[in-house]
Amino acid sequence: LSDFDTADFIAGFIAEAEEHLGAVNANLLSIEGAAHKGEPTPRQVRDLFRSFHTLKGLAAMVGVDPIVDIAHAMETVLREADRAAGRLPTGAVELLLRGTGVVEQGVRALAKKRPVRAAPASLLSALTDLRQTADGTLRPATATSLPAEMWAKLSAAEREQLVRGMEGGRAALLILFRPSPERVAAGVTITSIRERVAAAGEIVKVLPQSIPASENAPGGLAFALIVLSSAEESALVAAAAVEPSDLTPIRLEAPPSGGPLPAEADLGPDDHNLGREGVVRVEVKRLDEALERLSALVVTQFRLVRTLAALREGGADVRALAQVVGENGRQLRDLRGAIMRARMVSVAELLERVPLIVRGASRATGKPARVEMSTGHAELDKAVAERIFPAIVHLIRNAIDHALESADERRAAGKPEVGLVSVACHERSDNQLELIVSDDGRGVDAEAVARRAGTAVPATPEALLELLARPGLSTRAEVTQTSGRGVGMDVVRRITVDELRGELSLATAPGRGTTFTLRIPLSITIVDAFSFACGGETFVVPVSTVEEIREIDVAKVVRGPDRRKTPRGEPDRRRATRTSDMIERRGQAVPLLQLDELLGLPSAEAPLRKAIIVRRNGEPFAFAVDRMLGQQEIVVRPIEDALIQLTGISGTTDLGDGRPTLVLDLAALGDRLASDGTGAAA
Amino acid sequence: VNDLHVLCRVADADYVVAAADVLQMESFAGATKVPGAGAEVAGLVQIRGRVVPVIDLRTVFGLPTITPTIDSRVVVTKRGGRTVGLLVDSAREVIKIPEGDFQPPPSVLTQQTEGIVKAVAQVGTRLLMLVDVGKVVGEERIEERTDGQ
Repeated sequence: LSDFDTADFIAGFIAEAEEHLGAVNANLLSIEGAAHKGEPTPRQVRDLFRSFHTLKGLAAMVGVDPIVDIAHAMETVLREADRAAGRLPTGAVELLLRGTGVVEQGVRALAKKRPVRAAPASLLSALTDLRQTADGTLRPATATSLPAEMWAKLSAAEREQLVRGMEGGRAALLILFRPSPERVAAGVTITSIRERVAAAGEIVKVLPQSIPASENAPGGLAFALIVLSSAEESALVAAAAVEPSDLTPIRLEAPPSGGPLPAEADLGPDDHNLGREGVVRVEVKRLDEALERLSALVVTQFRLVRTLAALREGGADVRALAQVVGENGRQLRDLRGAIMRARMVSVAELLERVPLIVRGASRATGKPARVEMSTGHAELDKAVAERIFPAIVHLIRNAIDHALESADERRAAGKPEVGLVSVACHERSDNQLELIVSDDGRGVDAEAVARRAGTAVPATPEALLELLARPGLSTRAEVTQTSGRGVGMDVVRRITVDELRGELSLATAPGRGTTFTLRIPLSITIVDAFSFACGGETFVVPVSTVEEIREIDVAKVVRGPDRRKTPRGEPDRRRATRTSDMIERRGQAVPLLQLDELLGLPSAEAPLRKAIIVRRNGEPFAFAVDRMLGQQEIVVRPIEDALIQLTGISGTTDLGDGRPTLVLDLAALGDRLASDGTGAAA
Repeated sequence: VNDLHVLCRVADADYVVAAADVLQMESFAGATKVPGAGAEVAGLVQIRGRVVPVIDLRTVFGLPTITPTIDSRVVVTKRGGRTVGLLVDSAREVIKIPEGDFQPPPSVLTQQTEGIVKAVAQVGTRLLMLVDVGKVVGEERIEERTDGQ
């Protein structure tokens, strides 16, 4: 391999390794959790084994021996555990976590083009010792009433899982699910069934079955779900939406029929593939490039539309051309959607490392904590995901460090000793994602925060959040290892509100806990935007930031005290002081700000007619503008040069005239007015 | 190569910019105003798909601005990862000036321009002033602005 090839290869290795490491950490944590309850975890052990097996192979291909060595040592421990139906020797999880840390360090070193250090000899020998002391004996296999062809398709670990579950008093069931057009129409698919069954029981295996094709099963395909459950059978039937006749209990049968143990060759094709099938890893840079090209096309389309309009005005018959241009526009929108989807990453994947962060913070503080995650299928633009992740980490660390009480305190307060941190998210209808990080800790002590900030006790959650987000404010006197001092909420707010133009809110109850809600756009690269004219210029504003657009009834504008005069010395009737004009909106007085004046642009002769209403920190602001021009999807380019990095301007876009058009962040403008009272832009 | 300079004109004076700092020259037909940016910022222009802030050298030199003409040019400079355009009345030639031909500017000129003219050279009958792009683009000023936000 030439140097270039190797470099390319290593980049691929790093990406692949990171994916495996994410899964490894999640599996190790779930094994650790199950071990506390004395439950075996054959599935996770097997997954771990596969991960390290693959990592070892990949590392050998790029010639990183230290990773090969440590991965091999861990793989060996795990293979034996797999043969022992997922029982890991005592102390194994700790060593495996340390070993995983060594692999992670190695991958990071590779990424920075630094030499990879050899795995500590002490760790390697500890892993070897583990193998020697491990209980490698396997219980005699047991048979069940499961049809032989199905039994044959189960791995030893899965058989063990099934038999152990039944021996432990749980019911084992075989559920046959036949997909049909009716069921699909009702939204019932194998995926939904799988989820619902998993909620009622533990799925050991899903086996696709070929059945005679019929009217109800035109595909000739059914799925056999082998499930362990302690719930009532009827609950399961309902969950799976199948007829009772499709449900067969599985019984234990006496004669042992010892199947072969899983050897390396028994692992299936999965383990020898590099990466998931049908998945291509792409550098974000390349997607950005595709987007750049697309935005150039979009601009060309805008120009086509303009040219077409000019032709039409000149009296030409453009009907045929208009049809083609319209079609082109639709195709561009589809293409844009496709590129946008390619940029999306799953939130579940983004939050994969959260349990590890919770574990780390819990260990560092000595406070027992567990995490509950509910991430669903939401997806986020990669650029947003990368920015929001540090904010989530801050919130989780803060929750454990500041919010959760010590085990003693919790016991005294009658709470469970183990604190709970939960992370949930769901997609909203307005192209926004809601992320909720909450804890069941002591709640934010508003008085303590006020004392520390040297202000009055905040009366509302918004005011409290405002105080918490003051740079440098920390509610803890001592510096802690996990949160540090004074870092946290200001960073979270900067990322959520200032960088992503999202919203951040807080709810807290003394003794019961705190919830932070982050509302962020799914994408900041391609957004739906309103264009409007003001002060002789054209601007755009993302639709997601706009609460409402309404006519201004000039006669109904409420004028606060205004001490300014027109140049002729008369009281200025047309506009009042920036912060004293108000309009009534659903019984609420909303400040009305003249955008042209605010931006230092020439003022129009006639009063501005349209108001764009935005909300910042819960407070509405209305901005008066000349007129609305339209609504379109735009590609936002961030402002790169510090000369024009100004509050209220979030980027530029090209509306087809070949010149940049400013993308305004009206909420930030409103916020600046509220905070410093000056109208001067920057 | 280092001897090459872009010759440009602002009001009645001739200036040169080191060609090493220059990416390209573009005609100028107005820029998108950026409310709140410094007075010297004429606005944003789009050059080959990229958005570039433009500094009007007339404003920098304390001269009245003019309506863009057919001769107006944006000298696109690149320094330290930043791309900034300089708006001049005209820019047509690239000329060779050996380094040895440059003299330190008179101290009064240094004071008046805050060091923006970093050297002068006599070429034929013309006195050419060498513009310090870094100073114009204002690395220090930008830091202040960023801190002040």
